[in-house]
Amino acid sequence: MTADKVEDRALILDPEEAAAAQHHHHHETLADRPGLPIAIAVEGVDKVFTGKRSVKALESVSFDIPVGTFVSLIGPSGCGKSTLLRLVAGLSAVTGGRIVVNGIDPAEARRRRQFGIVFQSPVLFDWRTVAANIALPLQITGRPRAEIDRRVSELADLVGLRDFIGHHPYELSGGMQQRVAIARALSFGPPFLLMDEPFGALDMITRDRMASELLRIWSSTPGTTVMFITHSIPEAILLSDRVVVMSPRPGRVLRIVDIDLPRPRTEEVRESRAFYELDTELRRLLLEGEAGTR
Amino acid sequence: MSGVGAALKVAVVIAVVLGVWYLGAFLLEASGDRIAYAKLPYPHAILEKVLANPGTVLEATWETASRAVLGFFIGLFVGGLFATLMVQARALEVAFLPYVLASQMVPIIALVPIMRAILREPELVRLYLASYVTFFIITVAVLRGLKSVDRNALELMASLNAGRATVLRALRFPAAVPYIFSGMRIAAPLSLIGAILVDLVSGQGGLGYLMVAAVVVGPSQATLLWAALLIAFGLGILFARIVVWVERRVSPWQFAMREQAA
Repeated sequence: MTADKVEDRALILDPEEAAAAQHHHHHETLADRPGLPIAIAVEGVDKVFTGKRSVKALESVSFDIPVGTFVSLIGPSGCGKSTLLRLVAGLSAVTGGRIVVNGIDPAEARRRRQFGIVFQSPVLFDWRTVAANIALPLQITGRPRAEIDRRVSELADLVGLRDFIGHHPYELSGGMQQRVAIARALSFGPPFLLMDEPFGALDMITRDRMASELLRIWSSTPGTTVMFITHSIPEAILLSDRVVVMSPRPGRVLRIVDIDLPRPRTEEVRESRAFYELDTELRRLLLEGEAGTR
Repeated sequence: MSGVGAALKVAVVIAVVLGVWYLGAFLLEASGDRIAYAKLPYPHAILEKVLANPGTVLEATWETASRAVLGFFIGLFVGGLFATLMVQARALEVAFLPYVLASQMVPIIALVPIMRAILREPELVRLYLASYVTFFIITVAVLRGLKSVDRNALELMASLNAGRATVLRALRFPAAVPYIFSGMRIAAPLSLIGAILVDLVSGQGGLGYLMVAAVVVGPSQATLLWAALLIAFGLGILFARIVVWVERRVSPWQFAMREQAA
């Protein structure tokens, strides 16, 4: 399939959902933008790890991520979410099916530096200051000094770490370290932000605050497409335009749920009935998925 | 405050060691041993001997210490190079690491006559042995350091399409720094021992030669053996301290991090 064809594909997956989408007229939700081109297309992807015992991590996984949207993958531990992220990032190859990123192969997209990645641990370089950690991708891509300095201070402002720019990572809290990791991932302006349970290691309060922070940061980097992995249902609903619900291993797609809650996702939205209903729906899906494998 | 405390501790240890030493020497003398002055001389007798022959002692010290330091740097360079090559491909590591380990199974004292026969020049044998001892420790330390980077960090570099050289420069080498220094801290005094070993066996000069000469000439020169021993001991400590001093300057954050963790 060519790039054009990928982009031409409709976003709504089945007629029922399409009909349902017609009834909602929230501002800035997926349903309002059905013509959005597809940035990441995952088509019938299988992944088998071969070793002493081969393990099937993913089984015919398909979903789309439209350009400039926020899509979360949710599922129990070990369902292959992280594996899927690595496949999309071009760090590992599919066993079956295929992934198309902006019309090209993920490995090629990786070589063209299309991905900013944030892992569960911040993966900061201990020997570099906050500023130097944020600057890493810019240095590797050989940007001029003046541009690096400008970008670093912009990003430090964006993630609220202006006063900590000269500190070393060990002097920062877990939440602050993860902000540095986000700033680093965005520093070179990649079209894709891939996040692998970025707040999984944080305490509940910090986690909540980081999610709101992420929304603010994302809204100030227009056009950035986000693929976000989590096992927190409210986090997925709060952040996403679409949630892909996965089953336990081998990871399959149980359901794709478009989140048509209005943005910005204020406190009111979070406490709304629609939010609660989505939460219940996703919880049931995950429970059924869990039961289905027993 | 902690500086004063540390200095006090060192002073106490030295005082205790000297006290025990004087007591031992006195008891040995009092037991009626006629060559007690050679078996366990009083510390001040050693100092007198050194001050009486400053040229001999200094020359020997310089000869051994300078070769040890040079050998150390050669070992550091070769070990670093080996480790860097091995981390490039698992196959290289599998092929070479066992031989690096096996190199330590050879009793190094037996290498001295062999290498002297091959290299002829005693200077070269000294350098060879000092670097040989260093090389192993450094190779293992650097290799472990280069491999200490976590998988996500390597994936991050891959996502930035960083080449091998960039991964080494921006990630693997800086991550290896604490490992390299802890290897150096162990290897630096050992390089001195390697150099002394050559003196002992091939007997042309240096601290090791001073030790052998004292034994060969007889009890009258035994204080010189003790002097050489103490100098070697002091140099070993000095080398290790220098390594720590350099590390503090190279990566001060590393020390701050350890203090915070403690």
